[in-house]
Amino acid sequence: MAGYIPVSETAVFWENTFFSLASALYILAMLFYLTHFSSKKQFGRFAAIVLRLAFLTHSVFLILRTINVQRVPFVGPYEFGNTFIWATALVYLWTEWRLKEKYYAVGAFLTPMIALYIAYLTVVPRLIPIVRISRAHQQLRPVLQSPWLKIHVSASVLGYAGFTLAFATAIMWLVKNKAGEKSALGQALPHKNTLEEYMYRAAAFGFLFQSIMIITGAIWADTSWGSYWRWDPKEMWALITWFVYAVYLHARFTQGWTGLRTVALVMVGWVAMVFTWVGVAWLLTGIHSFA
Amino acid sequence: MAQEKPELPQNNIDTFSQLLRFLSSMQLGIILLLALAFISIIATLGEHEAAVQNVYRSWWYLGIMAFTALNLLLCTLRRFRPIMRLAFQPQKNKTVTAISKMQIFRSVDIDFDDENNALNTAKEVLQKNGYKTSMVAGTDGSTVFAERGVWGYLGSLLTHASLLIILLGAMYGSLTGFEERNGGIAGDRFTVENGGFEVAITAVRMELEEDPTIRPRVFSDVIVLKDGQEVTSGTVSINQPLRFAGNTIYHTSFSYVSDITITSLQDGKGYKVQLWDHGQVRLDHEGTILHMMQFFPNFTMNQDGIPSSKNYLPERPVHAGLLIKNGRAVRNVFLQLNKPEVIETAEGEVELLLTGFQHAAIYSITRNLGRPILFGGAVLLIIGLYLCFFLSPRRIWVKYDPENAVLLIGGHSPRQKVFFAQELERMEKEISGREGE
Ligand code: HEM
Repeated sequence: MAGYIPVSETAVFWENTFFSLASALYILAMLFYLTHFSSKKQFGRFAAIVLRLAFLTHSVFLILRTINVQRVPFVGPYEFGNTFIWATALVYLWTEWRLKEKYYAVGAFLTPMIALYIAYLTVVPRLIPIVRISRAHQQLRPVLQSPWLKIHVSASVLGYAGFTLAFATAIMWLVKNKAGEKSALGQALPHKNTLEEYMYRAAAFGFLFQSIMIITGAIWADTSWGSYWRWDPKEMWALITWFVYAVYLHARFTQGWTGLRTVALVMVGWVAMVFTWVGVAWLLTGIHSFA
Repeated sequence: MAQEKPELPQNNIDTFSQLLRFLSSMQLGIILLLALAFISIIATLGEHEAAVQNVYRSWWYLGIMAFTALNLLLCTLRRFRPIMRLAFQPQKNKTVTAISKMQIFRSVDIDFDDENNALNTAKEVLQKNGYKTSMVAGTDGSTVFAERGVWGYLGSLLTHASLLIILLGAMYGSLTGFEERNGGIAGDRFTVENGGFEVAITAVRMELEEDPTIRPRVFSDVIVLKDGQEVTSGTVSINQPLRFAGNTIYHTSFSYVSDITITSLQDGKGYKVQLWDHGQVRLDHEGTILHMMQFFPNFTMNQDGIPSSKNYLPERPVHAGLLIKNGRAVRNVFLQLNKPEVIETAEGEVELLLTGFQHAAIYSITRNLGRPILFGGAVLLIIGLYLCFFLSPRRIWVKYDPENAVLLIGGHSPRQKVFFAQELERMEKEISGREGE
């Protein structure tokens, strides 16, 4: 007995249209960033404009979804995925806006991540049958009707966005490392130290919100399930992710680790985050099966 | 007799302090965190209940946690004074040599040759960029000292301390706490042994959602009694627990309880029973048993012949069960409201009649005295993390070298070195841009 909210066909049409439009614009932005990166410098500003357009279109989608479901669009894989993509774009655009052109190269690595996440919501379910991304407008189950839902999910999408940005920078570092300082590819990328610091800032941002996510999740569980920690797989994977980034931050702070070792830790952290997000839902079972 | 000194060879002290150093070290911290992560990964891949029993609640897993707590505690204790000194008692006056050896060092050409003028310009620019500045006199001229984000130095200390508080709160909570399940229908009363109190349920109401296929909310009014005296009372529903003195009554689920009369058709004698799902009643001396399986408020059979409920509207209540003889299920029983069902038993025919049903609330009753500690720790953790990451602490020393008419600028920041260098470069331009104004 699952409850669905009646939504008119027109409303569904506009919702889907804006989702497709936003996806297309994100991918277009990706192409422009990549073109900029492969030495056509004039494409950088263009890419930034298209990405902002994509972000606006995606915002419209989220507003339409909010109207259609009559609550925050934070529930189920489709809504969570969209909110997460939106937050990733937001965090990136904010840094780009602060740091200007210097940051366009990061865009060439960040936008493919967004494309990957969009693929998870659209193409992947067709290829892998166990992944089911329903677009149905579900009623909120009573256990989810809590103000903590909003804080918890907002923190988690910001945390995941930070980790995504850190991961994109880690890939840049690897590319830079492989290509060498002198090559054209190497020249197009910021200095390794700069990349490591971008990576650190993004990971630290993610870590703060991941911590808030875990804490608010515990408080919420405490009011609705009667216990703040149930050792359930989703909770454990969030904690595992947190541990990995804690190791990374310490290695950097105190041990002065730099280079490949820290880059590797950031990448492992991202894998743990993705597993918390998609792996637990489709491969492991638990009381979080709604997320 | 010559006074004997206790034999404490230097070696031993060294070993002890080395051990202490290792126990409070980051290396150990990293090893422990990685171990926890690794074991947790393995544990999540298996069955959940088994993982809780065999891993998360095992002495060795909790032991690693305790070891982690010890590591954190020692690190916090060891670093406390040095960090406080670092944060609040900086050396404001530095020599030219010291400045030139700093993490970031620049010498900026300037035109004017007056020390005061030059240093004041630097001071103004630093202030404009959010730095707290002061000027101190030294033997080799004055130094402008500037700092920003000093509280950031305390971030790691606070973060660690808050993690300890959280662990402590969790430990205290689980040592002094309990968790029980119980429940009932309106009029029921049950004792919570561990808590030493009684709970009386005075009413249970179900509120259907607009869409009746959605699981409805159930509200129950309860009174908590201790030695017959009311302690507190309130309404409990999902996400709305009743809390008192560290105890909490949570609504975890609801159930239907049916009223069934059982009448012997032989002698007309009958009696009433109340049956929950999975409740059972014995119908004769040979052990014929009525075992209820599930209650359906709006009964229907789907195409595959599986009973289900269309929604939560109480339009066609049916309690479905099994008739068990000699330990074997012999037939299904579907009790519909006010429709008698006749059953053959060893003592003759028996009539079963569903006369009504009620809603029951099921609670989880817990005590957690660690909650306020946990909550306090969580708030401190967020503040600590904020200090760690968003207040990148940095310090700048500026001196004037009259011989070469240059400003010597040295800076130090434990984190975000590249951004600090960029910031300094910007400020440097600002300073040289101001000369001659
Ligand atoms: C369970 C988690 C943690 C453990 C076991 C742990 C353990 C440690 C240990 C043992 C040290 C070394 C102390 C020393 O060498 O003096 C350290 C340093 C440090 N930790 Fe943690 N830590 C944990 C979580 C965190 C978190 C969440 C942060 C926040 C970002 C953090 C930030 C730091 C910082 C900044 C330092 C360097 C301290 C300094 O140089 O003043 N730690 N940690």
